[in-house]
Amino acid sequence: MKNKTQTLPLFFFLLFFNHVYSWKKEEFRTCHQTPFCKRARSRTSSTSTPLVATDVTISDGNLIAKLVAKSKQEETQQNTNPLLLSLSVYQNGVVRVTIDEDHSLNPPKSRFHVPDVVVSEFQSTKLWLQRVTQETLDGDDSPSSVVYVSDGFDAVLRHDPFEVFVRDKSNGNTRVVSMNSHGLFDFEQLKVKGEGDDWGESFRSHHDKRPYGPQSISFDVTFHGADFVYGIPEHATSLALKPTKGPGVEESEPYRLFNLDVFEYIHDSPFGLYGSVPFMLSHGKQRGSSGFFWLNAAEMQIDVLGSGWDAENGISKLPKNRVDTLWMSEAGVVDAFFFVGPTPKDVLKQYTSVTGMPAMPQLFSTAYHQCRWNYRDEEDVEHVDSKFDEFDIPYDVLWLDIEHTDGKKYFTWDNVLFPNPEEMQRKIAAKGRHMVTIVDPHIKRDNSFPLHKEATEKGYYVKDSSGNDYDGWCWPGSSSYLDMLSPEIRSWWGDKFSYQNYVGSTPSLYIWNDMNEPSVFNGPEVTMPRDALHIGGVEHREVHNAYGYYFHMATSEGLVKRGDGKDRPFVLSRALFAGTQRYGAIWTGDNTAEWDHLRVSVPMVLTLGLAGVSFSGADVGGFFGNPEPELLVRWYQLGAFYPFFRAHAHHDTKRREPWLFGERNTELIRDAIHVRYALLPYYYTLFREANTTGVPVMRPLWMEFPSEEATFSNDEAFMIGNSLLVQGIYTERAKQTSVYLPGKESWYDFRTGNVYKGEATHKLAVTEESIPVFMRAGTIITRKDRFRRSSTQMTNDPYTLVIALNSSQAAEGELYLDDGSSFNFLQGAYIHRRFIFKDGKLTSLDLAPASNGNARYPVNTVIERIILLGHASGSKNALVEPSNQKVDVELAPFWVQRKNSPAVMTIRKPNVRVTDDWTIKIL
Amino acid sequence: MMKLRMGTGVIVISTALLFLCLPFCSSSVPNDPFFGIAPQDEKYYKSSDVIRCKDGSGKFTRAQLNDDFCDCPDGTDEPGTSACPGGKFYCHNAGHVPTSLFSSRVNDGICDCCDGTDEYDGKVTCSNTCWEAGKVARDKLKKKIATYQDGVKLRKDEIEKAKSALDKDKAELLKLKKEESTLKEIVQQLKEHKEEIEKEEEKERLRKEKEEKEKKEAEEKANEEKSAATGEEARHTNEAGKHSDAKDYAAGETKYEQSDVGDSYDGATDSPSSEGSLLNEVEESVKGAEGEHAAKSETDLRVEEKKSSEEIINTGNDASENTEGLSKEELGQLVASRWTGQKGGKQSGEAEDAKKTEEQEDLTSESNNEEYEGYASETDDDSNRYDGEDETEDDFREEEMILMSSDVVATDNPSWLTKIQRTVRKLFKAVNFFETPLNQTDAARVRKEYDELSSKLSKLQSRVSSLTQKLKHDFGPESEFYSFYDRCFESKQNKYTYKVCPYDQASQEEGYSTTRLGRWDKFEDSYKVMAFSNGDRCWNGPDRSMKVRMRCGLKNEITDVDEPSRCEYVALLSTPALCKEEKLKELQHKLDSLNSQQPEKHDEL
Repeated sequence: MKNKTQTLPLFFFLLFFNHVYSWKKEEFRTCHQTPFCKRARSRTSSTSTPLVATDVTISDGNLIAKLVAKSKQEETQQNTNPLLLSLSVYQNGVVRVTIDEDHSLNPPKSRFHVPDVVVSEFQSTKLWLQRVTQETLDGDDSPSSVVYVSDGFDAVLRHDPFEVFVRDKSNGNTRVVSMNSHGLFDFEQLKVKGEGDDWGESFRSHHDKRPYGPQSISFDVTFHGADFVYGIPEHATSLALKPTKGPGVEESEPYRLFNLDVFEYIHDSPFGLYGSVPFMLSHGKQRGSSGFFWLNAAEMQIDVLGSGWDAENGISKLPKNRVDTLWMSEAGVVDAFFFVGPTPKDVLKQYTSVTGMPAMPQLFSTAYHQCRWNYRDEEDVEHVDSKFDEFDIPYDVLWLDIEHTDGKKYFTWDNVLFPNPEEMQRKIAAKGRHMVTIVDPHIKRDNSFPLHKEATEKGYYVKDSSGNDYDGWCWPGSSSYLDMLSPEIRSWWGDKFSYQNYVGSTPSLYIWNDMNEPSVFNGPEVTMPRDALHIGGVEHREVHNAYGYYFHMATSEGLVKRGDGKDRPFVLSRALFAGTQRYGAIWTGDNTAEWDHLRVSVPMVLTLGLAGVSFSGADVGGFFGNPEPELLVRWYQLGAFYPFFRAHAHHDTKRREPWLFGERNTELIRDAIHVRYALLPYYYTLFREANTTGVPVMRPLWMEFPSEEATFSNDEAFMIGNSLLVQGIYTERAKQTSVYLPGKESWYDFRTGNVYKGEATHKLAVTEESIPVFMRAGTIITRKDRFRRSSTQMTNDPYTLVIALNSSQAAEGELYLDDGSSFNFLQGAYIHRRFIFKDGKLTSLDLAPASNGNARYPVNTVIERIILLGHASGSKNALVEPSNQKVDVELAPFWVQRKNSPAVMTIRKPNVRVTDDWTIKIL
Repeated sequence: MMKLRMGTGVIVISTALLFLCLPFCSSSVPNDPFFGIAPQDEKYYKSSDVIRCKDGSGKFTRAQLNDDFCDCPDGTDEPGTSACPGGKFYCHNAGHVPTSLFSSRVNDGICDCCDGTDEYDGKVTCSNTCWEAGKVARDKLKKKIATYQDGVKLRKDEIEKAKSALDKDKAELLKLKKEESTLKEIVQQLKEHKEEIEKEEEKERLRKEKEEKEKKEAEEKANEEKSAATGEEARHTNEAGKHSDAKDYAAGETKYEQSDVGDSYDGATDSPSSEGSLLNEVEESVKGAEGEHAAKSETDLRVEEKKSSEEIINTGNDASENTEGLSKEELGQLVASRWTGQKGGKQSGEAEDAKKTEEQEDLTSESNNEEYEGYASETDDDSNRYDGEDETEDDFREEEMILMSSDVVATDNPSWLTKIQRTVRKLFKAVNFFETPLNQTDAARVRKEYDELSSKLSKLQSRVSSLTQKLKHDFGPESEFYSFYDRCFESKQNKYTYKVCPYDQASQEEGYSTTRLGRWDKFEDSYKVMAFSNGDRCWNGPDRSMKVRMRCGLKNEITDVDEPSRCEYVALLSTPALCKEEKLKELQHKLDSLNSQQPEKHDEL
């Protein structure tokens, strides 16, 4: 008995301990434990080797130069060779600078350039440089080389000291973005291993041979006229990046970019998570936005330096209002892009001109997704599906996690739990719904598994440092990892998704790529050893952050092939890299059912959007743990606005489908999901905007209000498009909240239609019904106010237009629609309308260019209701032209599906077609 | 008749008129203005030209009824279209059961009503399947009714049986309680005599010692006395414990006997009132001490907890640092186990072990309890449970005697108890307490009689306690679940055997390992569900629990064990206990109403 009383508390404590302190911090390297980071971080301009640019010429339309050590003595001492710099200029204000070792001097190995990230279209926007101007900058002894970029911007290569920057001619030639303004540039050149050189590194039980020795690169980047910097996902932290170093700054780790599967990550940390996009953008009241992207897939660490950090060096001749950053990478080359802005949307457009526009998603995938680890069997699937119908809650996609497979062999089915997968999918598809199965990159090392056999025979696996197939541990146990760096292997992988190869798959089935960091349970930092080898002798350390991206790419392209190029792919991935936006959606990984995680999901999703990855979201409800019903409801209310809207849960958690928390909570969750379905036409229009401009669906306030300083660090509220402002509720039993509404125009409460003044902070009472959402005066959005089982059945349902009039009784908005699934829109099979309300008249204009191909998207869909917020007159009628029909104007509910919804001015049944040109005049 | 004809008419007309719809009008307006309205509601719509929204939010004209535009948020004005998200659409489903659909189903391209009336915009054609579906439903209903008919009888029998069994239990309890108090008196008397004897013996011994031993030795003796006093305290504690907790009785008695040795208790033999007060005092002091002890043990626990938590932290660190010592495979398993919670590496293994130990101990102690409490069920045939225990045979026979006698008690019959009383009285007469030295045989007889009878008493008390416990249970409003007591229902599914023991526990067995899915908690959902809670804890999850939903069936049978959420089990139990007469009537009524529609259906066909 005595034993029992002792073990009991111990046992419970163990559980408690496991739950709360599970982030295994010590399993991950700090900067201090990472030699290249430690070296780079402690470097000052006085300890760096100063470089100068020489031999500046123009070649192949690029500006070419050599970077050499300032003193010959240093050069011979360090035994370094000159580096080659190439600067090229592209349309729309993009400057690319590459710095690499000189291949003609036969370095021991050629350094890795990340392939297949920069889109081929980008090359065609190159401006061929013809000549370079020499100019001596103030206070310099030697000249600088200047080339013209565009729209009043120059790119400048300052020779001595070496510096590259873009300057704004219209603003007194001030710098916009600069590299090496603080002289911290350092490039560790590859060396031949000498006698007694021990380059190996150990971390915990893992040893990294590092056969090529130190090869890191670091430099400082300065954003001028900036108040804040943003971007470089993925971290669970604030939107405006807090300084990590500097006077008065509590020194933290640098922001780490190293794709890792972090168990129970914490909600406020610069720690690296599942994805890496080495793209940062700045914003400031003075200058607007600019951006910087370093195309490099090795581990990167980035310090945001607090103002005055360099005071000890006394080199701060630069004007204030700037943000300095220090970029450090373990390997690779300098392949850097400067984006001039000047608006945040310009920077996004410039960045996505390099890495590609976000793909146009399947319409169904912009609706609500229901996921759980795991919907256990076909009966469970059928049950959950029928419950949605029973409670009249729409959903579009039901997900199957790893347990659906036969022994975690992807592309297979557990034949006890899922004996008839095709029939199951057909039943779901009969309701217009879709399914998603998980396919991860680790392949079970099981000789009876044909995929493994084939991959082994073809030599398609990543190799360990000795050249054998790398054998790691993941869900299936002993596993190997396909080498997705190789286009051949990617193509082979893509073929595995064909209906013949993927037995049990049907056209309504789409894919989820998880664990693609890659996650290796027994690897260093739960990932692959850095000295593992990819095709062409590329070390894993060089390609690590892009591994998941290539896997995502291969899967996505496989789905395109599966549908004969006629069906858009849908692939959700956890790992990401620059360019991921072209291949599918991203979610923020294994979050936790806590209010703080709900809170941090907003800056996380916003940051992904700023890095081009517009189609993203966090697990609604929180993956780990059991959310209180109130938290779950709040999460649905917020999550309904994430571009990617999916509920997911760990298998240890209680069931949490929307109807399991009592009638009231079911009603609240249903309403939250309904709001998303009502807004699907608006979201789809925004996805198209992202697809053509790179501007994300979910935006920081400052993207829409770039001169409003009060918004720069606000990451509790966000914009959906240019019209809706959403404020999350992040605390339990909140009674009131403060919302800052930017801009001179007023805002309409999106629930009640009540008016609120702009440029003011409002204290609002919080209700359980919804989180605060406001519609900006001067905008028009489209809704669909009828609900169906899924978005599929809504295709022919009529629209509601909501017109929020501004102080001059005017408003504008757009509607984009197409078939929602094919690529025909690329041939012009879409409808794009602009609605303008002005002088008491609403006009619908065609925005689709006439010469946009021959394809058409024929629809008869009509507008059944037009809501006018803030209209002055009490008119009773409106006249529809050209049909010359008189229609009623009356007071009707703002939301027809809600009880006691306030009455607003409504044009009843104008029933005009969305495809037609028409005007409606208020009489 | 009228209504149904109209319903069919609607289909024909609306299909015909669909093609007349002008391009300007939306194609989803039904042509019958009263389409989609339930028969009982038609009056509401037809009574005037201006109709009120049912929720009182407004009103609408006859022209606005089913005009495919939502005027009432509750959907009053659009029973036949999808315009109002809050609305309901009524399908007549002649030949089957009428249904009310969410308006979201109207013209969504999916046939929901078996009569196909929910899809009339021409995008899909739905065939009328009501007749076939209705037949299937009626047949199913008939089968169900047949089951209920037999089940209701079975249930009645069960209830009758339960009532008489309960009465018997109650009578037995009453009788046992009486016997208990009589026996207690006798034991008390014996005890007093025994103590008297022992006192004399002690005196005698002391006298002899005094004569034989030196003064020094006398001092030693004084010390002995001191220790005897402590023993006395212990005795009181045990006695108090005996009163407060029958379960500890056995243990208490052993100690009691031990402390008897060298007992020098000499007060309060002659004054029961003073003894009572003394006992109270003792009890109080024991309570105090217990409280103190409890408090102390709590702090102890906390200290232990803290200590163990520190240990854990250390182990935790150790484990993570020791990953160096792990093989690649072990490390992989360890990290995987964080997500899966499955036994993998060292850390989770330890937790699992700790759990296992606890589990085993728990089970052991439980089975002990079971055996102990099982005494109550001695009347059943599992007497062999006592095999291997000391004196089982005798005890058992005696016990049998007790129980038999109490079963057949007739107040005027000289019971076993009267016999005992007589024996003891004789014994008391025979023993001469004033004879010095004491007659050893007499003393031994008193002792033996005391030992035997107090052991008998303890068994009687445990029987009283278990019977009291049993009768405290909720056997349902009509005691229909009485027969579930002491029964278990089993179901084998794949490699697991599920065992549901109402009023006790539910468990899952796999080979020799048993996992408790829950301890008996209560009935829920007006006696339709048996809830078992606080089962074995899940790794990184909740305590296991199980809900057994019951439905009418002719046999008690567990089926469909499921685990919809991790560690939350559900099962289905078919049982006659749920075959209620009211429900049978309801079903019959339902069938009657279905049947009454059939001829009409035939007419229409």
